[in-house]
Amino acid sequence: MGKKISQALYHALLWLIAVIFFLPVFWIILASFKTKDQLLDVPIHWFFEPTLANYVDLFQRPNIANYLLNSVLISVLAVVIAIVVAFLAAYSFSRFKPGGTDLVMFLLLSVRMVPAAASVIPIFLMYSTLGWKDTMPGMILFYAMFSIPFSLWILKGFVDGVSERFDETGLINGASRFHVVFNVILPQVRPGLIAAFIFNMVFVWNEFLFNYLIGGKHTTMVPVALVTWMFNNSGVDWTFVATMTTVYMIPPILVVYFFQKFLLAGMTFGTVRGEI
Amino acid sequence: MNDRQGVPTSRTKPSWFKKAMRWYDNSKLFPTTLLIPVLVFFIVWNVVPTLWMVGLGFYNYSLITGAPEKFIGIKNFLDIAKDDTIWHNFGRTFLWVILTTGIETILGVLLGFLFWGSSKLPGRRLALTMLFTPMLLAPASTGTFFRLIYDPIFGVLNYILTLFGVTPIDFIGNRVWAFFAVMVVDIWMWTPFMILIALAALGSVPKAELEAAEIDRLPWHKRLIYIVLPYGKFILMLGVLLRTIDSFKTMDLIYLMTQGGPGNTTELIAIGLWRKAFEGFTMGWSSALALLLLFTAIAFTSVYLFVLNQNKKQSEGG
Repeated sequence: MGKKISQALYHALLWLIAVIFFLPVFWIILASFKTKDQLLDVPIHWFFEPTLANYVDLFQRPNIANYLLNSVLISVLAVVIAIVVAFLAAYSFSRFKPGGTDLVMFLLLSVRMVPAAASVIPIFLMYSTLGWKDTMPGMILFYAMFSIPFSLWILKGFVDGVSERFDETGLINGASRFHVVFNVILPQVRPGLIAAFIFNMVFVWNEFLFNYLIGGKHTTMVPVALVTWMFNNSGVDWTFVATMTTVYMIPPILVVYFFQKFLLAGMTFGTVRGEI
Repeated sequence: MNDRQGVPTSRTKPSWFKKAMRWYDNSKLFPTTLLIPVLVFFIVWNVVPTLWMVGLGFYNYSLITGAPEKFIGIKNFLDIAKDDTIWHNFGRTFLWVILTTGIETILGVLLGFLFWGSSKLPGRRLALTMLFTPMLLAPASTGTFFRLIYDPIFGVLNYILTLFGVTPIDFIGNRVWAFFAVMVVDIWMWTPFMILIALAALGSVPKAELEAAEIDRLPWHKRLIYIVLPYGKFILMLGVLLRTIDSFKTMDLIYLMTQGGPGNTTELIAIGLWRKAFEGFTMGWSSALALLLLFTAIAFTSVYLFVLNQNKKQSEGG
């Protein structure tokens, strides 16, 4: 009996922690159903008559559908390209260890470490000169480049963890190398692929600076739209910010909810197989 | 590993195509083909721009005046070396990196341990999703909303403080508080990431060894030192590395909360650079500074990878 009570207390504590972290987000979600006065009033109104006016206003804004579509297209395509590129490289690095493997892995990680403001200066100048600014391919490939290092690091760990016997068995049985890469190795590194996908997608999905600088009206994603629309005649338009934020956070939350198992396993960089 | 002489290449009739494929598979061409995409990305989006930046660092080039760029040697670098603001920014950035990464790691590990035995938690998936939500929000939104939470008149935080008889504080407009106010938001946002890493690290500890320790009634601190730490520390180190990288780069969040102000009390090096480059448009000078940041990043990364490799060797050896 005592054990049951302590178990219940323990579970209550865990839920309490989750709720504490979630509270500011919950407040934003509630705010999207409030009027401006209710939103700004303190203490917080936890119970009120919800209104959908903010959502009606949001979806009546010009181009909102385009911006949402841009967000989806750019983040999904960029990350898929990055993962394919990173997976091929990870296989090559892991199995053949060509000269310079360590150097490339290291340089890619360093590149990721440079603050956005620094890496965007040359990219900005290059894109302006070549006329790549505000083009979908320019934006997508740029974000793909940004997602490669982390994907490569995760995936190399995973490919390292798959025994070379799988490759050998496949080759002996007459399979081509490409068959081995895509049909034998790929299915085994799935948690790594999904973890890399989620992490990079969340990054690109929420990215603001690059999209602001090298994007334009054809490639604007929601965070930039959010900041440009934020101010109205009377200062910050809080109900709009709350509504836009609420809508925009749904996809990443769903992804994390449904792929959580893979996310946890994927973050072990290939050292664990199976469930956590 | 590539030696597979004597292995029948195919069971059906070998056509020229299959022979060609087989030759291709066994030659050096195959691993190279796989690397072509990553090299293209690396060269076009990293090497070329970086060289461009190195070049610009030696020029006086402003986007505002429109004057043709002028070669000025290392003057940009000398200017930076003499600029006190830059060195203060650097110092502030290191303080920021150490404090945020440190606190997030400690909190993340503690909470990770707490969530370790949570497999029977009712609604675990939902609870973990809620826990991870802060890092899923766009920093642009988070920064904006915390401005409201910290607001001296409309803010919830100050309302709570007044209940305790404290006079409202303008957290992000106050020179003393601003840095810590922004830091708290970063910690709220990224502690969940370290919890995730801690859970992954703990998950990599073999269950069999833990069960053996349970049977042997090994005290908890010994379990920690002899079982959990040797297996878990590699992933934890990787997590700390990733967090250090991102913390060094923090930008959107602070920019949208304070723009680096008040004064420049929250101006990290990335924000200072942004202001110079895209508010002042002095591209030559900014390129020189960006180059310095690149070197800092490389130095940081080398130290970390060295430590990481030592750890990896140890855990593989042990």
